[in-house]
Amino acid sequence: MPWLVLRAAEAGLFACVAGLALIAPRPLWLTLLCVAYFCTVLLYATGAFVRQARWSRGVTRRRMQAVALGSLFLAAAILITGLRAAVPAYEEVWTVLGYAGAVISGLAYFLGFAAPRFVRRAWQEPELRDFLREAAQLPRLATLDAIPAELEQRAAETLGAPYAAIGLWDESRQVLRFRATGTPPPRLPPERTEAFRQGIFELRPGEMIAGRAFMAQRALFSPQAARADPQYAALYRAFGATAVLAAPITAGARRLGVLVVYAPRAPLFAEDDLELVQLLADQAAVVLESRALIDEAARVCAREEAARLKEDFLSAAAHDLQTPLTILLAQAQLLERRALRHPDAPADLVGVRRLVREARRLRSLVLEFIDVTQGGQDAAPLRRERVDLAILAREACARFTSEQHSCMFEGDPSVVGAYDAARIRQVLDNLLENAVKYSPAGGIICVRVWQRDGWAHLTVTDPGIGIPPGDVLHLFERFQRGTNVDDRRFAGMGLGLYICRGIVDQHGGHIQVESVPGKGTTVHVTLPLALEGVCCA
Amino acid sequence: MPEQCPLGPPQVAQLILVIDDDPDIREVVREILEGEGYLVTTAANGAEALRVLEQQRPALVLLDMRMPVLNGWDFAAALRARGARPPILVMTAAQSARRWAEEIGAQGYIAKPFDLSDLLTAVERLLSQTTSGNGSYNSYN
Repeated sequence: MPWLVLRAAEAGLFACVAGLALIAPRPLWLTLLCVAYFCTVLLYATGAFVRQARWSRGVTRRRMQAVALGSLFLAAAILITGLRAAVPAYEEVWTVLGYAGAVISGLAYFLGFAAPRFVRRAWQEPELRDFLREAAQLPRLATLDAIPAELEQRAAETLGAPYAAIGLWDESRQVLRFRATGTPPPRLPPERTEAFRQGIFELRPGEMIAGRAFMAQRALFSPQAARADPQYAALYRAFGATAVLAAPITAGARRLGVLVVYAPRAPLFAEDDLELVQLLADQAAVVLESRALIDEAARVCAREEAARLKEDFLSAAAHDLQTPLTILLAQAQLLERRALRHPDAPADLVGVRRLVREARRLRSLVLEFIDVTQGGQDAAPLRRERVDLAILAREACARFTSEQHSCMFEGDPSVVGAYDAARIRQVLDNLLENAVKYSPAGGIICVRVWQRDGWAHLTVTDPGIGIPPGDVLHLFERFQRGTNVDDRRFAGMGLGLYICRGIVDQHGGHIQVESVPGKGTTVHVTLPLALEGVCCA
Repeated sequence: MPEQCPLGPPQVAQLILVIDDDPDIREVVREILEGEGYLVTTAANGAEALRVLEQQRPALVLLDMRMPVLNGWDFAAALRARGARPPILVMTAAQSARRWAEEIGAQGYIAKPFDLSDLLTAVERLLSQTTSGNGSYNSYN
C-alpha cells in the first residue's frame, strides 16, 4: 500500500473518530462524511484485494476474493446506514438491507480470514490436481535437467507465483545447486558470478531462506526476505523477490534438495501457501526419486547387457573355434593312428593338407576375434589401393564353387575403387560362407557387381532358408543370434556379419540384407567409388 | 574292408550315418570310422539325413545339433514321428552336448573337439548295446 494513501487513511480515521466523539448532537453532514470516508476506504480495499486475487492462485485467490466481497458488502452496509440517516422515511427497508449487508460481509470476512480447514482443502484441490496430473509424466522426461525446470514452472503456476526454483542437493560437494538464468546479480563474489554465467547458482545449507529451509528440513516463509536476511538483500532484490517460501525436497531419509517460491509482494495468507509449497516439494521428491530409480534401472540394464555381450562373445568365439579345432584334433590323431599301424605307408597328403587348411582357418578366426574385441576404435587403418571389385568377386565366387554349390558371377566386367583388398576379400568370404551354409545342396549362389551414381554395388544372393523379418534389422549387431535367444539356432553367423559391417563402414559404405524366409537372402553392399582424395593418384 | 580293430571286427560291417554341416568334419569322421571297419554314409543336415534314411537303415546316427535347413532337434523329432529308433550319438559343441543330448533323448553324446579314442569308445558302446539285444533300439523300421 502506498505510503501517502496509508497516511491519508489514518488521518481520515482520526478525523472521523474525533468528530463523532466531540461533536454532539451529531449533524447529518458529519454522519455522511464519515459514511463517505469508510465507503471510500472499503472500496479501495475491495479493489486492492481483487488485484491481489488476480495474481494469486488456489486458496489465496479464493480468500482474497472472499475478503474483497466482504469489504464490498461492508461498504454497502455503511452506505445504507448513511442513507437511513438521510432518508428516514424507509426505515424498515434500510434496516433489513443493512442487516443483510452486514451478515454477507461478516460471512465473507469469516471465509477470507478464518476459513475452516475443509473449505481450504476444497479451494486447494483444483490446482493440486493439475500439478499431480502433470507431475506423473515428469520422471520420463528425456534429460535430467528438464525435470527440475518443469517442476519449477508447475510449482510457480500452482502457487500463482511468478517464479519458483529448485536447488538439487549435491552430496559430494555439500551444496544446493540451482539453475541460473539471466545476468548475474550485482555484489556477487567473482567466483559465484562466473558460475552464474555458466548457468549455475549454488548455496550452502543455511544460506538464504532456501538453505535454511533445507538445513532445518521444514518449510519456511519470509514476507520480507530482504529485511529478514539483510546479508542477501541485494540477491533477493536481483531475483525480484520480496516474499520467499521455501520447502525441503526429501524422500524418506534422503535429502534431495529444496523448492523455493519467490513473490514480488508478500501474500497476506502465508501459512496456507506454506502448506501447499511443502506438498509440492513432497511431490517433487517423488518425481526426482522416480527418475533416480529409472536411471538406476537403466544402469543395471546396461551392466547386464555388457555382461551378456561378453558372454555372447565367448560363446560365439568358442563355437567358431570348435569346428577347425575338432578337425585338427581328429585329423592329427587319425594320421598318428595310421602311422602307428602302417609305418611304411606313404604320407596321407589329403589329411596333411586338411591340417594345414584348418590351422589357417583357426588363425584367421583368431585374427578376426582380435579385430572384434578391439571394437572399431582401434581397428587397423585401411590399406587402400586401386582394386577391381569385379575381379575380387569373381575370385571369391571361384573359391566357393564346389560339388555341392555353384557360384555365378554377373555384372559389370570392371568396377574399380580405392579399397583394402584383403578386407574386401574378408567381406566376400564371410558373405559367401553364410550363403553356402544356409543353402540346400545344388543351390546356385549369385554374386553381382555393378556401378551406378558414384557407388560400387555388390550383392550376394542365396536360395537358402532366409531370415525371419524381425531378425533382419539386428543381423549386424554384435553376436546377434536371431529372435529366439535359444542358442540351438545360432550357428556362428553373427560374428561374421558384424565383421563385414565394420569393414564396410570403415570404407564409408553401407550393408543391408533383404530376405524372404524359405526363398533366400540377398546381402547388398555399397561402397563409394571415387578414387580422388582417397588414394592411388 | 576292415583293417584292424581293437575289440575285434564286427561280424557284419555296420552302417553309421554321420550328420554334420561341416564337410571336413564329415570326411575326417568318415575316414576314422571306415578305418575301424564300419560302413559310413553322410549328410550335411537333418533334411538330407531324412532322405538317406529312406534308402538305408544305419545302426547308429552321429548327430551334430546346430545345422542349417533342419537342425538336430527337428531331425530327431522327425525321426520319432516316423517311428524310427536308431541310437543317436550327439556330436556337438562342448558346453551344451550333454544338455542337448538329453533334450532329444539321445543314447550318448560326445563333445567337440573330441579325442579319436573317445569317439570310437562311444560308437562301440552304443553299437554293442544295440546288437546285444537291447530291444529298444531295434524297433525302427
